[in-house]
Amino acid sequence: MDRAFLNSLRRIVGDAGVLEDRLDVITYECDGLAHLRQTPGAVVLPASAADVQAIVKLCARAQVPFVARGHGTGLSGGALPVAGGIVIAMSRLNRVLQIDIPNQRVTVEPGVTNLEITRQVAPYGCYYAPDPSSQQVCSIGGNVAENSGGAHCLKYGFTVHHVLGVEAVMPDGELIHLGGPVADTPGPDLLGLVIGSEGTLAIVTSITVRILRRPEAVQTLLAAFDTIEGGGGAVSDIIGAGIIPAAVEMMDSLAIRAAEAAVHPNFPDADTILIVELDGPQAEVAALFDVVVDICRRRGATTVEVATSDEHRARIWRGRKAAFAAMGRVSPNYYVQDGVVPRTRLPEVLNRIRDLEKRSGLRIGNVFHAGDGNLHPLICYDERIPGQSEQAVEVASEILRYCIDAGGSLTGEHGIGADKAEYMPSMFAAEDLALMQRVRAVFDPRGLCNPGKVFPTPRLCGEVPGPYRRHPAEAAGLADRM
Amino acid sequence: MSNDGLTAPDPAATDVVQPSSARDAAATLKRLSEEGLSTVVRGSGTKMDWGRPASKIDVMLDMRRLNRVLEHQHGDLTATIEAGATLRDVNDVLSRLGQGLPLDPPFADEATIGGILATNDSGPLRHRYGAPRDLVIGVQLATTDGELTKAGGKVVKNVAGYDLSRLIAGSFGSLAAIVSATFKLSPIPDASKTIRLAARDAAALAQIVRAVMSSQLDPMAFEVGAGPPGAGAPSSPGAPRLHALVRFASLAAAVDAQVAGATAALQPLAESVQVIEGYAERTLWRTHASQLWEKPGAIVRASWLPASIANVLDELPGDAELVGRGAVGAGLVRIGGDETEQARVIGALRHSPHFGNVVIRRGSPKLKTLVDVWGPQGDRGRLLAAMKRAFDPNGVLNAGRGPL
Repeated sequence: MDRAFLNSLRRIVGDAGVLEDRLDVITYECDGLAHLRQTPGAVVLPASAADVQAIVKLCARAQVPFVARGHGTGLSGGALPVAGGIVIAMSRLNRVLQIDIPNQRVTVEPGVTNLEITRQVAPYGCYYAPDPSSQQVCSIGGNVAENSGGAHCLKYGFTVHHVLGVEAVMPDGELIHLGGPVADTPGPDLLGLVIGSEGTLAIVTSITVRILRRPEAVQTLLAAFDTIEGGGGAVSDIIGAGIIPAAVEMMDSLAIRAAEAAVHPNFPDADTILIVELDGPQAEVAALFDVVVDICRRRGATTVEVATSDEHRARIWRGRKAAFAAMGRVSPNYYVQDGVVPRTRLPEVLNRIRDLEKRSGLRIGNVFHAGDGNLHPLICYDERIPGQSEQAVEVASEILRYCIDAGGSLTGEHGIGADKAEYMPSMFAAEDLALMQRVRAVFDPRGLCNPGKVFPTPRLCGEVPGPYRRHPAEAAGLADRM
Repeated sequence: MSNDGLTAPDPAATDVVQPSSARDAAATLKRLSEEGLSTVVRGSGTKMDWGRPASKIDVMLDMRRLNRVLEHQHGDLTATIEAGATLRDVNDVLSRLGQGLPLDPPFADEATIGGILATNDSGPLRHRYGAPRDLVIGVQLATTDGELTKAGGKVVKNVAGYDLSRLIAGSFGSLAAIVSATFKLSPIPDASKTIRLAARDAAALAQIVRAVMSSQLDPMAFEVGAGPPGAGAPSSPGAPRLHALVRFASLAAAVDAQVAGATAALQPLAESVQVIEGYAERTLWRTHASQLWEKPGAIVRASWLPASIANVLDELPGDAELVGRGAVGAGLVRIGGDETEQARVIGALRHSPHFGNVVIRRGSPKLKTLVDVWGPQGDRGRLLAAMKRAFDPNGVLNAGRGPL
C-alpha cells in the first residue's frame, strides 16, 4: 500500500494499530467462511469512534476501500477483505458503556461479544435475547451487520427487534445517530435499514440494546421420531395449536450421530429429533407443555425426554449448538448452507434434499430452526477426492434453489456477503436490486464501504471459489467452528 | 374520524386516481412524477392532517381499490395484504383461522394497512408485538420511476438484501407508494383480563412501572395514563387522574394465575385495583384508544425513558392528558389551551431532558406555523434529504408534509 497512506493511518492509531506484515494480517484474510480469502493491504485497529471517523475520512480522500470486521465469525464472507483495501478491525472498541437496569437498556461498543451483554446483566435477572450459536465469540457489531438470529428468534425476533439505537460512521466519515435509548425517532426506519446491511452502509461504533427479564419458567423437551414427516408434522401441529415456542429445533440422524460423537449429549439414535423449548409465565408454560408433549406422541414420537434440570437442558442445547462443529467428527470436510423455506413446506423440501443426497452420493446432515423454516444442511465431502469439493458447492447451490422454489430465502441468518451475492438475482428482480443499489449509493456514493458484498458483481480477483477450508486460526488450534 | 378538517387539502383542486392494480399504481406514479404533479398517496384518510400543512396537492393516489388479503398462510403465520385493505377487514379474514395482525393503532377500524405501515403507527399491543416495522417481513413498492419492486420476502426469517420494508415504515408516503406488504401474524389468545390500577401520584405510578418491568409478568399490554379516567374507572370527582392498565392474554388458567400474581405484587403500590373482563374489558380498550381523539386540543406523540415516567408527568401541564406504553416509554399527549400555549408546551417538552422525540400528530394550521411538526432531525438530516432525492427525484410525493 501507499506509504504515505499507511503513515497517515499510523498517525491516527499509532504504530501498533496498523498491521501490514503478511504474518500479522493472515488472521484477517477471511472470516468464518474460510474458502474465500483475500490479503488486505493493511489492517487498522481503531480504539474510538473518532479513530474510525479519521480512518474512513482518509479512505474517502484516497479512494481506498475499507471493510469493517468484528470477531470474524461470519459465515458468508461479509468481512472478506478487498484487494488494495484495508480492514478496520473493531476488536479494540470493546467497552460496555452503560448498563441501565430500570430502563432495560445496555449501551456497548461493537467489539463486545454477544454473550458478554448477558453476562453483564445476569445478576439482575436479565439477558440479551438474540443467541446465535457463535454467541460466546461473535461481536455485537457483527450481529448488527448481519441482523443475527439464533435458536430463540422464533418467539423473540432478531437483532433488529432488540437494537434501539446506534452511533455509526458514514462512508464519508460523518458520525450519525440512528434511533436511540428513547423510542420513536420520527421518519423512515433508517436504523432497521442499517441493521442487516452487512457492513455496506456504515460502520457502527456504539449500540444500545434492549435487555429482557428472564422468564419465570422454561421447559425443554427432546422428542425422537422415525421419520422427518413425524417431526415436521409435530412442528406444524404445535404452531397450528396457537403455541409459539421459544425454540423449535430439528436434527437428522447424521447430525445426531455427529453431535453424539463430539459432545455426548446422550441423544437417542433416531431418524429425526425435535427440541422444543417453551418459556414464559409458569402457569402458561405448564399448560402448553402438556399440549406439546401430547402432539409429539400423537405424531409418533418414539421417545419424549423432558429436561428435568438446568444442567439437563444445557446438555440438550450443547448437543444442538455443537452440531456444526461436530460434523468434523464424521466427515473430513463439510459445507454449511443457510436457506429458508416456509415452515409448511419443510417436509417437502427435506425430502428433496434427501433425494439429492442419494443422487449426489454426498452425505447431507440437517440441523435447522424448524419453527421458522431456517435450514442448515451440512454437506459432507472429502477434499482429497478430486472433484468432490466442487460437487459439494453444486449440491449446496441446488439446495438454495429448492428454498427459492418453495417461496423462501437465500439466507435466514448467515447473510449474503460475498458468498451468495451471485445468487441474488434468483430471489430478486433486476429492478429490486437496482432500488437497493440506489439506497446503498445514498449512504456510500463512492462505493468504498465493503464493496463486492450483497450485490452480484463479477468475482474479485484473488477470490478462490470453493467449499470449506480450515481457517488459519482453526488450523493453529486458536479457534473452533461453532 | 380523526380529521377536524383543519389542514385537509381542498378536495376541489385535487384529482383522485384509484389504481386498479399494482402495475397501474406504478405506471400512474411514473406519469405523475414525469409531469411534476404534486401527489399524495392515501388510504382511508384517517391521518390526512398529520404532518406539516400540505402544499398544493394535484393528485390523490387513492389505494383503496387494492384491498385484498392476497395470501393467508396460516400454517406459516404470515399474510400478504394489499395496501388499501382496512385493518379491521384484514383481521376479520385472519380471525377465521384464529390468527390476527396484532396492531391496534388509533382509528383501527378504518385505517388501511398501507397507511399504518407508512406511519409506523401502533397502540397498546405494541408492548408485546411491536410496531408495524417489527411485524412487516416484506413489501412491494411502486416507485416514481414506474417500477414495481419488492424487498424482504414471505418468510419470517430472511436476511437477503436490504430491508426496504423497514425503510418505508415511518416514511409517510414520502418515498414510494406501498402496494402490498407481508406481515408475520400471531395466534389470537384464548382469554384476556385487564387490571386497572389507580395511582395516588406520579411517584406511585413510577413504582408500578418499575414493578411491572422488573417482574416476570408477561402482559400483552401495559399502559400508563394521566388525565380524566376512562371507561371502567371510578367516576367519582376527585378520582385519581393517574392510572395503569395491565392486560394479560393467554390460556384462561394462565391469565388467572398472572392476574392473581400481578394483583398481589401491585396492590401495595396502588390506591385501587380493579379486574376488568368480558364486555367491560372490550369497552375499556376501545374507549382507551379513541377517547383522546374525541376531545379538543393538540395531540403529540412523545417518547421517554420508561423509568422516568414521574419526571415526564411532572413536566406536563395540569390539564394535559397522556396515554402511553409503560414499558416502551412512548405514547400520545393531548395538550389544551390556545395555539400559543400549545406551542409553548411543545417547545418545553422538546427542551426537557426527560422527553425524547415530540412530534405533532394533530394540530391546527396556526399551531404548525408556531412550531415545527416533526422537531429536530439531529444528524440524520442530510441522509434523509439524500434518500428523498434517490426515491423521488422530482419531489412530487407527499406535498411537503414531511418528515422528508
